[in-house]
Amino acid sequence: MSLSVNGVEIEDTFAEAFSMWGSRLIITAKNSKWANIAALSMTGYATSVIMCDCEAGIEREVYESETMDGRPGVSVMMFGFSRKTLEEPMLKRIGQCVLTCPSTSVYNGLSKDQADEMLDIGKGIRFFGDGFQVKMRMSDGICERKRFWRIPVMEGEFLIEEKFGAKKAVAGGNFLIMGDSSQTVLEAGEKAVEAIHKVPGVVTPFPGGLCRSGSKVGSKYAFLKASTNTSFCPSIKNIFQSSRVPKNVDSILEIVINGLDLESVKTAMAEGISAAVEVKGVRKITAVNFAGKLGKFQIWLKDCLGGL
Amino acid sequence: MEVFLKPKVKPLIPVEAEVLTPDRFAGMKLSEIEGLPVYVGNRVEKLSDYFELEGSISEKPADQQITILGDASRIKYIGYGMTAGRILVEGGAGMHLGSHMSGGEIVVKGNASDWAGAEMSGGLISILGNTGDLLGSAYRGSREGMTGGCIIVKGNAGIESGIFMRRGTIVVEGEIGSFAGAHMNGGAIFIFGKASRGVGAEMRGNGSMIVCFKGVDSLLPTFIYNTIYKPNFMRIYLKFLFNTLKIDKAGEYFETPFKRYVGDAAVGGDGEIFIAET
Repeated sequence: MSLSVNGVEIEDTFAEAFSMWGSRLIITAKNSKWANIAALSMTGYATSVIMCDCEAGIEREVYESETMDGRPGVSVMMFGFSRKTLEEPMLKRIGQCVLTCPSTSVYNGLSKDQADEMLDIGKGIRFFGDGFQVKMRMSDGICERKRFWRIPVMEGEFLIEEKFGAKKAVAGGNFLIMGDSSQTVLEAGEKAVEAIHKVPGVVTPFPGGLCRSGSKVGSKYAFLKASTNTSFCPSIKNIFQSSRVPKNVDSILEIVINGLDLESVKTAMAEGISAAVEVKGVRKITAVNFAGKLGKFQIWLKDCLGGL
Repeated sequence: MEVFLKPKVKPLIPVEAEVLTPDRFAGMKLSEIEGLPVYVGNRVEKLSDYFELEGSISEKPADQQITILGDASRIKYIGYGMTAGRILVEGGAGMHLGSHMSGGEIVVKGNASDWAGAEMSGGLISILGNTGDLLGSAYRGSREGMTGGCIIVKGNAGIESGIFMRRGTIVVEGEIGSFAGAHMNGGAIFIFGKASRGVGAEMRGNGSMIVCFKGVDSLLPTFIYNTIYKPNFMRIYLKFLFNTLKIDKAGEYFETPFKRYVGDAAVGGDGEIFIAET
């Protein structure tokens, strides 16, 4: 049975999320401008594993007081279907987007205690030093030793931690904002993303956190593995037989949430939905699922909201 | 749990008391500890001949603190090979303090003699006074000195500190004698006072690094100057020294540029000496 929040119908359905490997890294730079440039570059073209090599997003900006080197930074999270498919894009993206960016350094953001595995990312990147890389170990003799690699580059030196934590995470948490116009859903979407980003441990990999072209599995064209989610396209709602677009809805946006654990994703969904329904003109909130055939996790919208 | 050892006499001949470790004390009765052997010249004597003991003994070394209430500068091998727990020496400590230790913590409020932390592989030694020669070094004939852990000396250190060092950290807030870090093949030495001649002689590489904040007396010509810069890794080290190891002086150098020298070319080494450009 559907429920209503602020007069907006919340459909009694679930978001179907699935298991992925996730990692968190902290990029620091001389100032937040360059940390953000590196983070944006690194998380580019990483919206969905349907076509991209990984999913990635910016978790939040990190204050100087929180970073290892006392410089401003950005926390980035990356997701891949396996350890290997996470490790490879991490190496490539750090190598091409962060190593190349002036003044940056990269540190692990998922400690050994929090991680299921430690990936040899810095250990892989070090070969760029062509034999002139320098290893750096730091310990007070009591706590665990930290290891880094220093790589000589034209600007000076690039510093990267040797190992990065990775853990089994949750991807594909989602909800759809259905409204009376594209302006309404955009406004609601922006507010939702703003609220989601206050929750630690989650990212929204799509542009600005919003996806206007949600997809379904398969297509009438054999060469295409995904195509537009016809059930939720308002412009064909009266000609597509299985359309699920209500009469009073003329635009829909999807928010996809990946997180380091299920609870974070559920909290983020709840915060996002609560923010979205505050906007006038939002008619309904629903979620995308595949009748439980695709993903391991079923995140029921009413359960999420009950947790708030 | 804490056990107190009050020195009875200042021995004329140094006493070798490698039993003074939390590992050895743990699980014993006080009377048993009093009977532990110490070596004086060619004689075997009892610990109670030199110390009055009182306090409580833990079952586990990690929960045991040994406090020596006075001067122990004639007591050798305090904390030898310890793996856990804590030793506090209110006065000075004799030779071989914490040598071969692999864990735990030793604090000496006075001076420590030669070979402190020799061939240690883990743990923390803090010496609030000065220390003698061969701090954290390899014993004669050995190819590996300190292989882990950390030594902090608030005062000055003698000659040949950190020779054959393989891993770990040595911080000397005062001056350091000649040939610090000779034959070094890993690890880091931070010298906040002036470094004497021969620093890093025949240093190999493997990430070995000596940072001199107040210059060096005649750097060996086999160290090749490369650049002057403010490397980010140095900020991390300095923050670590300042925040974790409580080295206040480190806070003065966050924005300091450093000259980078690589050597020792005499042995084809690629170790690093950084000299603060103040």
